[in-house]
Amino acid sequence: MNWPDLSMGGYGFYIWGSYAFSLIAIVWELVSLSQRRKALAQQQRQSSDTVSAPVLRGSANETTS
Amino acid sequence: MNIYKYASPAMFYPIAGKMIPWFSTAAAILFAVGMFVGFFIAPPDFQQGEAYRIIFIHVPAAWMGMFLYVLMAIYAGIGWAFNARLSSMMASSLAITGAMFTAISLVTGAFWGKPTWGTWWVWDARMTSTLILMFLYIGFISLQAAIDDPRKADRAGAVLALVGVINVPIIYFSVNWWNTLHQGATIRILQKPTIRGSMLAALLIMLAACWLYSVAVVLMRLRCIILEREQNAARFAEVGV
Repeated sequence: MNWPDLSMGGYGFYIWGSYAFSLIAIVWELVSLSQRRKALAQQQRQSSDTVSAPVLRGSANETTS
Repeated sequence: MNIYKYASPAMFYPIAGKMIPWFSTAAAILFAVGMFVGFFIAPPDFQQGEAYRIIFIHVPAAWMGMFLYVLMAIYAGIGWAFNARLSSMMASSLAITGAMFTAISLVTGAFWGKPTWGTWWVWDARMTSTLILMFLYIGFISLQAAIDDPRKADRAGAVLALVGVINVPIIYFSVNWWNTLHQGATIRILQKPTIRGSMLAALLIMLAACWLYSVAVVLMRLRCIILEREQNAARFAEVGV
């Protein structure tokens, strides 16, 4: 197996720049999603102190799954 | 068994949760395989040398940007026409992933254009229409964020999404309709592709990876949206607001 030449025949900056940006975009999406989930979980804990545990419409309490 | 019950957000929530690990694992594996084939097996292009390797992310990202927009418009339309809230939530969830892929296609396109054409950007038909696609996504997301009542936000978003869908065939056919700087399609449905097998394989594997990634991430975000919206509804119902 030959490791590809990192300079990519002079195109290295453009190729690695493209893939770096794509990776950053994907990581950004995943991080912002996990923050949204964490914020939601925290909000759920806080709200359960004031009002009884939230229940989703139309089913048993699915919020714990 | 009534299959329509799965249109209820509360019923769909646990199903989505079970699907996510499968799609994310498959996406991670295919990304790794696609990058391996793209960089270790596919040979350099005879015209563009190594620079063409950007297409393994550029082309799948551009396709996903267009495809997710159409999907978003369909879900938003169904949510609007049939008052199906899960469908509208799906549209909101798709918008962010679609915008992310469109951003990737624009930026990687610029990275490809600079060494190949000598410029980061030109107001070429395909690039301009793709930029409009980006603005449509941003418009959809900000419009929804600006309206407090989620169902009103869904309706306003649906109108924007459905009007904007006309832009997608314009992007797709722009390279045939106008004499553009952007090169024509490499892979056509009815003709032999113009690239080598290993290049095509890398491209299709990366496309599959982007697909699986989108399913996983959109479902994860959908679960957040379900909780954010339905939980409030349940709480309001409980305290009698």
